[in-house]
Amino acid sequence: MRLSVAAAISHGRVYRRLGLSPRSRLDLLRNLVTALVRYERIETPWARADEMRGYAERLIDHAKRGDKDERAMRMADFWLTEKDLIHKLFKVLAPRFQPHAGSYTRLLQIPSRDGLDRAKMAVIELKGNPLPPLARPRRLSDKTLLNQLLRGYRQDARPRGTPV
Amino acid sequence: MAAACGRLVPRGAGIALPGRCFSLSGYRVSSGGKPPKFQPPPKPVIMDRKTRKEESRFLSPEFIPPRGRTDPLKYYIERKDMIQRRKVFNIPEFYVGSVLAVTTANPYASDKSNRFVGICIQRGGKGLGATFVLRNVIEDQGVEMCYELYSPRVQAIEVLKLEKRLDENLMYLRDALPEYSTFDVNMKPVPRQDHEEIPVNKVQVRMKPKPWSKRWERPKYNIKGIKFELPEHKMQAAQKWSQPWLEFDMLREYDTSKIEEKIRKELSEELGK
Repeated sequence: MRLSVAAAISHGRVYRRLGLSPRSRLDLLRNLVTALVRYERIETPWARADEMRGYAERLIDHAKRGDKDERAMRMADFWLTEKDLIHKLFKVLAPRFQPHAGSYTRLLQIPSRDGLDRAKMAVIELKGNPLPPLARPRRLSDKTLLNQLLRGYRQDARPRGTPV
Repeated sequence: MAAACGRLVPRGAGIALPGRCFSLSGYRVSSGGKPPKFQPPPKPVIMDRKTRKEESRFLSPEFIPPRGRTDPLKYYIERKDMIQRRKVFNIPEFYVGSVLAVTTANPYASDKSNRFVGICIQRGGKGLGATFVLRNVIEDQGVEMCYELYSPRVQAIEVLKLEKRLDENLMYLRDALPEYSTFDVNMKPVPRQDHEEIPVNKVQVRMKPKPWSKRWERPKYNIKGIKFELPEHKMQAAQKWSQPWLEFDMLREYDTSKIEEKIRKELSEELGK
């Protein structure tokens, strides 16, 4: 029988449970953030990439404050396990994203992992990276033939102005 | 010579050298014999009092909406109602650790109202349901009363002593010696200048022997206002429950500066009308 109803309900919980414990979850995400800052595009399970995205963007927000800021340096020191990446974060990534207000990362789903678990995989990359571009889903633009024809139809169907 | 200079200050206007003709910038051209009206020099504006007031204006914590998925319209409507109530009834600025006296309406009391004096140990709730808990020890019995700030039953809230403490939550006073929670019911309000900074009372409270209602020595409560007289090994054992990674968990931070600015502007507009 179910001993505690409350333990099974998770309404409004925003943090996923990864790894062995909350400490382990943060360590996992820390490794992923370090890898993202080093390689600028990584392939991981979708859940981990989604959790990591928030932390990566907040880290860049902290870095934008500059390396003289005490809090920014402590955050970068904790989150980047390879200490040469702290320099890259403050000197390369922060100036690159200075003009942008937010959303420095892109998350795209890729076919599931080949192994036994068939995990839902995703690729997460920092925008403006020097690697060749990914195949992003193109939204229908105004220039397609169908959209042009529909636009013309709408213009014709609109009631004309007062004839002279 | 007096008649020669048209722009002359007439004799007896307070200048040490009578009859000398010189024009001063502060004096108007006097037509005819009428003495110009005495204009006192402009009062110097004390800038630091004004600027200090602008920076450290107090925003009551129940105005700041919590993080969540509720529609901001709900908090906007509540804020309008809160402002309406504040226009009619004065809710003073107070913090956890200040001593307040609250009179509420009570139909069964002889003079229809009920006064309670106590130290504010907790301020909870957001919006119209904001509450504060006052604690006092009356005839050796600890009493805590929880009042709603915006309830129509409260008739007056008076701040007897405005001060802050080292913690945001003084629930540990329940396990502290009763002398730290006793306050005279007929206490007179402590006078205070407007521009002074809010004093922080750094008192370290002594506790009754354990067991306590909560294990206050654990780092989760992060209490700075208790003088722990526990043995060293117990304090070390309590640190086992510390979570040092929590301060680096960036998604738990809630930056309220922009929200506060907007709400401050809204409040000053509405209350200024």
